[in-house]
Amino acid sequence: MFSLLFAPPNFVDDLLLKLFSQETVNFVVWPFIQIGAVITLIAVWALYASYLERKISAFMQARLGPMRVGKWGLLQPIADAVKLLTKEDLMPERADPYIFRFAPYIAVAATFLTFSVVPFAPNWGVITDVNIGLLLVLAVSSVGVLALILAGWSSNSKYALLGGLRSSAQMVSYEVSMGLSLVGALMFARTLSLSGIVGAQASDSVWFFLYQPLAFAIFFVSGIAENNRAPFDLPEAESELVAGFHTEYSGMRWSLFFMAEYAAMVVVAGVATTVFLGGWYFPGVLRLAGGYNNLYVFLSLFVFVVKCAVLLYLYFWFRWTFPRYRYDQLMDLGWKWLIPASLLNIVWTGLTVFTVQALDGWNNIKTIESLKGAPNLARGLNLTATGKGVAIALGWAGLLVAALFLAAVNWRSRDFNLKKQRRQVRLVDVPKGKPAVATTAATGEG
Amino acid sequence: MHQVEVATTQETLLDNPEMVLNMGPQHPSTHGVLRVILRLDGETVIDLDCDIGFLHRGMEKIAENRLYPMIAPYWDRLDYIAAVSNGLVWVEAVEQMLGLEIPPRAHYIRTILTELNRIASHLLWLATHGLDIGAFTVLLWALREREEILKIFEQQFGARLTCHAWRIGGMPNDAYEGFTEDVQRFVDNFPHRLEEYETLLSENRIWLGRTVGIGVISAEDAIAIGLSGPALRGSGVAWDIRKSRPYAAYADLDFDVPVGENGDTYDRYLVRLEEMRQSRRIVQQALKQLPDGPVNAKIPKVIKPPAGDYYHSIEGPKGEIGCYLVSDGTSRPYRVRVRPPCLINLQALRQMCIGHLVADVVAIIGTLDIVLGEIDR
Amino acid sequence: MPLVKVSQASWKEKLKRFFLFDLLQGMRLTLKYNLGALTDKDSVKGFGIYTEQYPKVRPIVAPRFHGAPRLNMDPETHESLCIACNLCALACPEDCIDVIPMDIEVMVAGKPRKKKVLDEFIFDTSRCMFCALCQEACPTACLELTQEFELATYSRAGFVWNREMLEQGREARKFEA
Repeated sequence: MFSLLFAPPNFVDDLLLKLFSQETVNFVVWPFIQIGAVITLIAVWALYASYLERKISAFMQARLGPMRVGKWGLLQPIADAVKLLTKEDLMPERADPYIFRFAPYIAVAATFLTFSVVPFAPNWGVITDVNIGLLLVLAVSSVGVLALILAGWSSNSKYALLGGLRSSAQMVSYEVSMGLSLVGALMFARTLSLSGIVGAQASDSVWFFLYQPLAFAIFFVSGIAENNRAPFDLPEAESELVAGFHTEYSGMRWSLFFMAEYAAMVVVAGVATTVFLGGWYFPGVLRLAGGYNNLYVFLSLFVFVVKCAVLLYLYFWFRWTFPRYRYDQLMDLGWKWLIPASLLNIVWTGLTVFTVQALDGWNNIKTIESLKGAPNLARGLNLTATGKGVAIALGWAGLLVAALFLAAVNWRSRDFNLKKQRRQVRLVDVPKGKPAVATTAATGEG
Repeated sequence: MHQVEVATTQETLLDNPEMVLNMGPQHPSTHGVLRVILRLDGETVIDLDCDIGFLHRGMEKIAENRLYPMIAPYWDRLDYIAAVSNGLVWVEAVEQMLGLEIPPRAHYIRTILTELNRIASHLLWLATHGLDIGAFTVLLWALREREEILKIFEQQFGARLTCHAWRIGGMPNDAYEGFTEDVQRFVDNFPHRLEEYETLLSENRIWLGRTVGIGVISAEDAIAIGLSGPALRGSGVAWDIRKSRPYAAYADLDFDVPVGENGDTYDRYLVRLEEMRQSRRIVQQALKQLPDGPVNAKIPKVIKPPAGDYYHSIEGPKGEIGCYLVSDGTSRPYRVRVRPPCLINLQALRQMCIGHLVADVVAIIGTLDIVLGEIDR
Repeated sequence: MPLVKVSQASWKEKLKRFFLFDLLQGMRLTLKYNLGALTDKDSVKGFGIYTEQYPKVRPIVAPRFHGAPRLNMDPETHESLCIACNLCALACPEDCIDVIPMDIEVMVAGKPRKKKVLDEFIFDTSRCMFCALCQEACPTACLELTQEFELATYSRAGFVWNREMLEQGREARKFEA
């Protein structure tokens, strides 16, 4: 198994070619192996993410979390899975039976489909490299909202209905800022292919997070809202709507929603990593692998997983620190803060790219490397060190500009001025009255 | 009580813009078995009504058929979060009717433990209020400090929640060995923990957004409804029975009454936090001045208060909890009436909620700090 | 929605708010707890783990705890200390105690005398409030509420304890870790 890492690049290929033809291997066998591996890994991840979340939240709350099943409770997710699989599958009497049964599968399918274009690692770490990969991610993940609405609607329960309505409004609003925030990064990457975006960052050896700090923040916050995670977990706010859209679900169908939620977290973390944090790229990994292709893939995969894990920790961290937003405040945040900010980001990034290009050749400043041969779009903007410096400086300056812009936009909104409304309590020294004395109360009639 | 019109002819949920939502009695955040019938327009509350009585046990009637010393445990089961305070109303009412002179040591220990109970009750309020608004972590932090208090209760009374803390004429036992050390340790450690809760919530913009301007009630309305405790003080009325009609050892102790300004959820939050600080201050003083001596007065073998009626009330954690006692000179009371702070505070719910969203209803129920054991009795 | 009074915020507060200080300080605290859970051993003052591992680690119950009832016996003669005086049954607010006495003949100074002794003692733990009034009423320190607290049974009948259970203790069912 271990020697597989150092095997020649086409070792498995050779093996497969003995059994199938070249076309079959390329278009059927390999994809199936990759899909199987990814689905298994993501399913296991969804289980263990719940374990991690329980542990992390427990530690934040001075608890231990699951400890009984296996060493340190490590088998707890498996015990949970067995429990959920064997649980009675209840359905409300007057629910719409077909939609009720169908909704969880939409949630799972929509989430898992997005993994098809996420580049986990170079070479065979990519299932498909579609040239509209990013669009596909956005399009497919927004189908997921359908599952929530249908689940809420078909349950024939008022809490579920409210949850479904909330989720539709929330996801539609946050899709906008999520999509718009990616545009800035695309101006640097010049491609919609996710592998191409990683390639652009690798060739520049700069993560787009440095060019686009604002877009990264917007994308991540919108992603949390898109996943219905706290502090934006309104569709399933357990203190208001009992369990929101999945109030009436139990057993396996409920666990499908659960799995979809955790898998969707990985999707957002994975896309954020790919677009803003350089994906599987980390400086020096290629040299470390020393020419062994499989080792290189595995190391890159490791880098990708670590980056995702950092973002997922942020998810947990936010959830266990902040209170929940209210419905109207959530809409405020989306429409009055994130969408203006992402629009501004597009304008600002356009100005940045224009400035960098305009600076080239002026006063002996060289911002763009001269291209040899045909222009290679997958290599992004080909900035020199100076160009990168300018772009990074302007990107971070964009944070300040955005803050001022948002402050101007929201100057009179209630949410912005809350701090002003905060008051201290007064301490009053009330004069002491007559003590309650022991009386001989025998005055009335018995 | 105001009635919500439930009968609407609607084929499906969406045919009528108005929706009637039954919140409770099995809802996770109605703090027990309260049923709130909400009439909603979208998510905005246009009317609401409370349905109570799911936990009715007829405690006042039971009390008519029990000997005086037997009634105290039933008082614990009213506001089970603040059993020590509740027990104190009953025993003090009977003691004062009998004209007993309670030794000062008993008074001081009663004061210390009642104040600790107030802190415990407020901590549970903070925990559940935080949970209602989605701040889960503060729940477990607050319960941890409450646990320290409950450990002291267990050592002292032999029970953690429904303590049966006091007996007519004093206490069942003197303070246990190590009592002062335990209380001192809690008192020393507590401010640092309060800071932590404040770090997490007080300035947090989401918390501010969820609490500032929510559930506003003016001082006039609060007095008119008869609110008491932190719910009244949050509206800016400096009224505290510990000050206006001191009982136990409060006359000798020094403390301030925190008062809010806007009468919103956030002010009540600040008032309760400050009350915990003041309670700590009271405990600290009482511990320093703790006198020696007996803890029990000499009481008659059969307790027969003279015929007549008497009202005694104390400042419980939730508000003024009172006991109106009518005696006919026999060994059983003729009538026992509880002045329930939570039931009266709950009356403000409708006025506070209308015009707000469903999520605010939850926050407002949380800020009223109700316990259904006492509302339903 | 009713508006509340507004006061001007200071520059320092505005700056803090601008840099999300209010959110970051909360996150700093939870991070401290997260790391503290792994390193800090002090749970009362520090960030350590506070919870007890109940069935694995037995809790230390206070000496005064009001738990399962027990009828004490004379340690030397192994006879019940109960004199069937019925005071506990009278003191009980919930009437959950039944003392059933019987008369036996004993020889006192050579003469046969009737003596009331305990025949059967019924204690209904399902109705008990554990208020300890019976314990306080007992003149011979016979009835005592012990520190045993695991009272759950599988049936309602299991809550009614008879004399044998009260004297010998219920068949101990400890939940092994």
